Amino acid sequence: MTPAANQSLIPASRARAHIFYRRLSLAIALFALCSHAISMPAAAADRTLILATTTSVRDSGLLEALLPTFEEQSGIEVRVIAVGTGAALRMGREGDVDVLLTHAPSAEAKLVDEGIVIRRTPFMKNYFVIAGPSDDPAGISKADSPISAIRLIAENESRWVSRDDDSGTHKREKSLFATAGVDGHPQWQGFERTGSGMGLSLQVAGELRAYILSDIGTFLAFHERIDLKALSHPAESLKNIYSILQLDPTRFARPIASSAADELEGYLLEPSTQKRIGQFGQQRFGRPLFTRLHSKKRDP
Amino acid sequence: MNELELQTIAEITIRTLWVCGCALLLALAIGIPIGIVLGSKRFLGRSIAVSTVNAGMGAPPVVVGLGCYILFARSGLFGGVGLIYSLTGMIIAQTLIAVPLVIGITLAAVGSLDDEWNLQVRTLGIGRVWRLWLLVREIRMGLLAAVIAALGGILSEVGASQMVGGNLDGKTRVLTTAIMMKTSQGQWEQAAGLAIVLMGLTLLVAGVLTVIQQSGRTR
Amino acid sequence: MKTQLEDGIALRASHLECHRGSGESRFKLQIDAIDLRSGEVLVILGPNGAGKSTLLRALAGLEGKSANKSIQKGEGPVTLVFQRPAALSGSAARNVRAALLGKGIPEPARRERLARALARFDISHLENQNAKTLSGGELRRLALARAFVLEPSVLLLDEPFDDLDGEGQRRLSLDLQRAIRETDVAVAMVTHDLRRALLLADRIAVLIDGRLAQFGRRDAVLEKPHSPQIAQTVGMTNLATGTVRRVVDGVRWIEVAEGFEIPTTAPVSIGEPTWIGIRPENLKLDIGRGEGQPIGKAVIESLVSDGLATVVSLRTQGLTFTTHLLSGRGLSRRLRPGDRVSLAVQPEHVHALAVGDGPIG
Repeated sequence: MTPAANQSLIPASRARAHIFYRRLSLAIALFALCSHAISMPAAAADRTLILATTTSVRDSGLLEALLPTFEEQSGIEVRVIAVGTGAALRMGREGDVDVLLTHAPSAEAKLVDEGIVIRRTPFMKNYFVIAGPSDDPAGISKADSPISAIRLIAENESRWVSRDDDSGTHKREKSLFATAGVDGHPQWQGFERTGSGMGLSLQVAGELRAYILSDIGTFLAFHERIDLKALSHPAESLKNIYSILQLDPTRFARPIASSAADELEGYLLEPSTQKRIGQFGQQRFGRPLFTRLHSKKRDP
Repeated sequence: MNELELQTIAEITIRTLWVCGCALLLALAIGIPIGIVLGSKRFLGRSIAVSTVNAGMGAPPVVVGLGCYILFARSGLFGGVGLIYSLTGMIIAQTLIAVPLVIGITLAAVGSLDDEWNLQVRTLGIGRVWRLWLLVREIRMGLLAAVIAALGGILSEVGASQMVGGNLDGKTRVLTTAIMMKTSQGQWEQAAGLAIVLMGLTLLVAGVLTVIQQSGRTR
Repeated sequence: MKTQLEDGIALRASHLECHRGSGESRFKLQIDAIDLRSGEVLVILGPNGAGKSTLLRALAGLEGKSANKSIQKGEGPVTLVFQRPAALSGSAARNVRAALLGKGIPEPARRERLARALARFDISHLENQNAKTLSGGELRRLALARAFVLEPSVLLLDEPFDDLDGEGQRRLSLDLQRAIRETDVAVAMVTHDLRRALLLADRIAVLIDGRLAQFGRRDAVLEKPHSPQIAQTVGMTNLATGTVRRVVDGVRWIEVAEGFEIPTTAPVSIGEPTWIGIRPENLKLDIGRGEGQPIGKAVIESLVSDGLATVVSLRTQGLTFTTHLLSGRGLSRRLRPGDRVSLAVQPEHVHALAVGDGPIG
């Protein structure tokens, strides 16, 4: 929700209602935390780090491959909360978590601008894919760029499944449609909005034989079951950069485990970790899911 | 909250009521006769049927949803019918969730009558249809309980609605799936708004039925 | 099955068989022939588990198709009032009206029948009361009104006096008696309350182990039971066995204990093992009024009074006897346990049959 909408919802004169509402949102946030199964290792470590990330990152299995080594080396217990990008960023904004791992550059930039995030460090990338039914009714596999593929889909008013959930993927979809010159809020029959995660949205697209923008990891995990094909080619406009975001600990009443967050960042950028990132997915999908980002200088 | 959001909430609420209302009516139409038969007749396989119903009463909606998904999906048994991600599919799934509740509670209500109740009414020489009418009148409090339980169950159920309905905007999005969605998107104020509507609805339904029940009891 | 029945017979069952339960608890009811007559009350007696309620249900047509085949009935409804009548939700009037549902009776007639049925059992004032709040006695009256509103030709009553106090029983039996007389309905009644049964009964059927042990006019069954077990069931509590030793002026003297002889006019043979039965009201304490033949002395074991009658238990020579005295009168006041009294009986009041003799069924 935008701050403006927030304002219209809570008139300044009704401070009590405001407080009630804040508490209610907090309660719902807590519910969200609980319902997203925070993993609790049997042995409690001395230090804990609460990491908010997106479901697509969790679903890829990358964290399960990387974090045990980090926990062993550092003695830090990492609790992963996997939610939508919007919820993850919101949790960072509220200081409910210690560190964020997201892939929504423009939304991340906003947090950086506001000073909530003091450092944003990209550490890996891959490419989104535009997937669709194998008979490709709009003929987008012959398009010369993702943008013209979107134009073809819009012109044909082909079925499209949008996540419409304010996630990194959805933000990218919106920017692709905007670049293609398609109305910001497409309304044709067959333009479906799921409001759900990538996996569910892919299932919907598969059932409805629709086109969809997906991250490569989730797509590879699902594509055999849902009978959809990747119809796009890697391009700059589909580049998907994953960053780790450090919060400004001075802004929150709750203490932020900043040093632990720093250690996690250092671990992710280590050459050996980077090498493992670059190889991750080879075994399961026959190809790596991510490309490592070398020696990127840290933003101040 | 701006006008568009209010309009969306209203639309989602009306859709929720439509889906749950249809599912409830179907579940009552299917469940009450079965409950009455199971409750008043003795036949081979009855105990198996009763334990199936009891198991069904405890079946998590998510499991029912998964079952429906597998059947309705393109590759499923009823894949060609186009039930997946449709309101009809959701109504069927919710009916399946509610039917065991209705059967179970009807069964219990019939069972709570005197063993000889049916014989006593029969010996008055009343025709079958009128006996059924008397029976329904006699267990109407139990039937109200069935309505409350079934409606409460499907109004608050999210798993099956999400899986079978897909939470499609403007098509199959209902209150529970919308709340889950808004929560996962970090739009907690909107989630709270929808949650209040849902709470209000359940309280209203329970309240109205309780009032009917109370007035029925004193009569 | 509706077939032509002789005049006065409202229902007849022949070769009736019902099975209940399975294995060890399997129970079989087998009745060769029983009939109910209009305006008459048949009381069905028998020990617990003899099949009395099953017989009533079978007569009501509630024991399945095969049982129904053996039942012939005339015109008019057959209805059964259960031991624990079910109150339908709603008012008393609604309960009675329920019996008329879907029978094509016009409303004015229904209203009139309702009023008559309620008045018959003196519950008109309860018309609008919730049936679930009625007392046990009121509910029973309601159930009877619900049965009579049908204008039945056969009315079957299962323990109609159960759970009622003495006064309630008395009033209900009077109302019931009048209703039966006025409507000419044929009644079969199961009861364990012998006194009420004897007041109402025209005929008595004794059921033992699912079979009709004896069936006949009231006095015949009461005074001439076919076996000691039937005797006990119909309240002939003074039982003994012995042998006829001598015959004097047509009176046979049966020795039931060493030197203790009981006279009877029953035609039993000398030397034959015989059982005798005397109803308690026929066994007298001999106080010189010459009531019957003196038969010997006995010691009073106990005196138990219910306010109306005093049951006196006596013992002599290993035999026990009971007799009834009116409470509050001279004798019952004077006597104490341990007192020795003389017993007397009129020979025609002593029932005697050869052991193992007598028609069965």
